[in-house]
Amino acid sequence: MSRRHSVNRPPTPDRDGAERVKEPTLIDIVNIKLTESGEKERLMELVRERLVECGWKDEMRSLCRAFVKNNGRDNVTVDDLVRAITPKGRASIPDSVKAELLQKIRTFLVSVAH
Amino acid sequence: MSLPKVDDIHTNSELISEVFNQLLDSIIVDVASECHRITKLGLDRNLDEEEEELRLFAEARARSSDPSHSGESNSKYVVDMFGQTHPPIASEIFNCMNCGRSIMAGRFAPHLEKCMGKGRKARQKSTRAAQNQNSKGSTVSNRLSNGGSANAGHEYSNGTYEEA
Repeated sequence: MSRRHSVNRPPTPDRDGAERVKEPTLIDIVNIKLTESGEKERLMELVRERLVECGWKDEMRSLCRAFVKNNGRDNVTVDDLVRAITPKGRASIPDSVKAELLQKIRTFLVSVAH
Repeated sequence: MSLPKVDDIHTNSELISEVFNQLLDSIIVDVASECHRITKLGLDRNLDEEEEELRLFAEARARSSDPSHSGESNSKYVVDMFGQTHPPIASEIFNCMNCGRSIMAGRFAPHLEKCMGKGRKARQKSTRAAQNQNSKGSTVSNRLSNGGSANAGHEYSNGTYEEA
């Protein structure tokens, strides 16, 4: 009797029950290339500098201080602060800074695609 | 932090945006972490006092430059950090180095204008002569220059000026 394979059978889990390792995604590959080439660090420095210049960092810091004032110094965690400033932080990036960054990322992608 | 839905990233521009967002998130975490540290270590004690001082200073300045006050009135007395006040118009008197007259410091700039060239009486002779040469029509220029300056010399009809 020939064995019939079950068509919809889920993949066999590893012996120790761990999940299968996923293939690296496109974004993972890009991140690895960014880090290996040093471009990620350069971009981070650039963004930090621009955001300090335009006062974005000061805005975020005053948001954090306000949050601490309202919630008490001892109750605040890093996650709390991150959650508190992320919406405003993402929204208040100046367009020029964003454009500059996107351009640099695009250039990098083009250069590694070859 | 929200992770990207990796199945959604197909196009280049989505990829670029995703890289940008991840960079931004990292920086936001950095800032939050820094503020958290400052808060927990109590290093922000002085910050509140500095902010208070800045605010008081800004208020004092706003009060002194209130548009409801007239320009040169006494309302512009702002107290500086030594407790001194200064009148709005500088009142020290000194001698003008051009003409030698005693002038009030607050009126020095307008005085210099008249003293050094803007006023008609102060124009130098050579400038006057050049203007006479350049003006059109002899009689018209004669009349103009006669009205504007004390001519010591004769003026010829063709407009040239000659000292006697």
